[in-house]
Amino acid sequence: MVITPIHYIFVPLVAAFAIPLLSKINKELPRIIPGFVLFYNIIISIVLMQQVNEFGYVSEVIAGWKAPWGINLIITPFSGFLVSLISVLGFLIWMYGYRFKQVIDRGELRTYNILQMMMITGAIGIIITGDIFNLFVFLEIVAITAVSLTAFYRERDGAEAGFKYLLIGGFASSLILLAILILYTQVGTLNMAEIADRMHTVPSGIKATILILFIVGFGIEAELFPLNGWVPDAYSQAPGPTSTAFAGIVAKAGVYGLIRIIFTLFDIDGAYDFLITAGLITMIVAEAAALKQTNLKRMLAYSSIGQMGLALVAFGIGTKEAVFAAMFLLFNHAVIKSLLFMTGSILMYNSKDKTINSIKGIYKKLPIISLLFALGAFAIVGLPPFSGFWSKLYILTAAADKNMIFLIVTILAVSIVEIVYYFRVIGKLYFAEDENVIEIHKPTPQAFVAMAVLGVTIIVVGFNPDLVTGYFHNAADILLDKASYIKYVLNVESVIQ
Amino acid sequence: MQEQFNEVFTKYHEVITWGVYGTAIALMLIGLYAILIKKNLVKIIIGLTIMDAGIHLLFVGIGYIQNGTAPIFSPGYENAADRMVDPVPQALVLTAIIIGFAITAVALSLVIRLYKHHHTAKIDQIKSLKW
Repeated sequence: MVITPIHYIFVPLVAAFAIPLLSKINKELPRIIPGFVLFYNIIISIVLMQQVNEFGYVSEVIAGWKAPWGINLIITPFSGFLVSLISVLGFLIWMYGYRFKQVIDRGELRTYNILQMMMITGAIGIIITGDIFNLFVFLEIVAITAVSLTAFYRERDGAEAGFKYLLIGGFASSLILLAILILYTQVGTLNMAEIADRMHTVPSGIKATILILFIVGFGIEAELFPLNGWVPDAYSQAPGPTSTAFAGIVAKAGVYGLIRIIFTLFDIDGAYDFLITAGLITMIVAEAAALKQTNLKRMLAYSSIGQMGLALVAFGIGTKEAVFAAMFLLFNHAVIKSLLFMTGSILMYNSKDKTINSIKGIYKKLPIISLLFALGAFAIVGLPPFSGFWSKLYILTAAADKNMIFLIVTILAVSIVEIVYYFRVIGKLYFAEDENVIEIHKPTPQAFVAMAVLGVTIIVVGFNPDLVTGYFHNAADILLDKASYIKYVLNVESVIQ
Repeated sequence: MQEQFNEVFTKYHEVITWGVYGTAIALMLIGLYAILIKKNLVKIIIGLTIMDAGIHLLFVGIGYIQNGTAPIFSPGYENAADRMVDPVPQALVLTAIIIGFAITAVALSLVIRLYKHHHTAKIDQIKSLKW
């Protein structure tokens, strides 16, 4: 069997439909099948990444309709990197969540597993599709599954968080639909490469309108201020593995959507300045809000928003170095923030009232989890020698190359704020007297393995950043080379067939 | 009957086109108003649906051309390629309607959950989560 990009979408969909039937046979199957599917995603990623390294692009034409007419899936080095990251994270999150839930009834277990798998599939779909309307459809798949997962626990305030998310998301999706509509009247095509090719014929006023509508729409998934009101609520109310997936997977897909639209479709200078401004505001507001949080997961959520802001700033600088640094940051954020959410969820689960104060001295009972949390915290604030240090350093040097002093000062100032609130948690964790007398729920061995893999990645990449930097340099070059993307999609048939 | 209709339609084509666009934009604005102003959760969802309906109408409207035919090469319409309406917006609208349906369904189920939890459907009385 030849592995092609469509397997990313096809296999999980078939599995999602099969799970309700198969769960009649054995009630363990809904837990196990997503694991196989997500592991298969990793295999697809490995095969496709080899082809990407060889040819530069991999694309697939669906149902025999060639690129401008039909829907095509395209994997560039940038999207290939994100898809592989998401596949690996998806599998690790599955391992982590395998027995995370206490035994809940069969129906809920089924829903949870199907929704979680479909959310990952939707995120992958956003990244690999080459058709703007298809992008919208996948965005909706992500939105609906994410909302349902947010409202998963009946006893929490999940429904409220979910409704907020749905309202913002539904409104945004209407705006994206409107943007696609206006775009279609102007260029008469839905294929992203062809849109990019014809974009210069569109009057600049209309161009700006479309761009604003798109930015608002994707800014919601990318956690852009002020569209991120749903983020802290959804992250704190969703089940632990799901908030991990929000940070590691959904946010990445949103950023990808924004970047693809700004870099490939619209190439106007104002957009880059906008990215820098929006990113800076997002970063400052989020880190300031994180400082005053008492709930650990909310704090992590705000920190996640701040990191996404930093990534957008780096993309907005727009030079090759900066784009490279932004990709590195996306990689680091996915790995580190996933680790933080995984360990943080376990710490919260074992604390008395889910606040930062109630985890005092818990390290005696959960030494390894506490150590991994501390490792993640050190890495995300950018202490050497962990991987977070390198991406921050590269962003700062890229900003210095363009003499953006204000940017450098702000990023450093925000880093200090980050250090303050992360170290406050670590201080409570390690150096405060233990007040809790509660029963400790140890995480499962699978969860330990998942977290250990992430922890080892942080350290290994921290000591050897060269392992990944070469690839990101190449990916940044190709992302900025819009012409080759257009040429590849419109002229050449699939490499695979 | 058909001819009469065509005649009237040709005569007032301009008016009807702008009528369709105007209705679509009016629907979008009404929906937006409901989303922003209304306090009842169900009314907000209705607003979202109305706004979507406006966008869908606009979609169908832009695909239409005067005296158009279905985009199918059938007997008698072999040379009608330049009169065929654009099928793409219609296909998009079908998808968008289905997505809108799914969103409405999820939203309403959440409203039921919220109502059971808080015993109210007023948005300003439900605020356990804050910054």
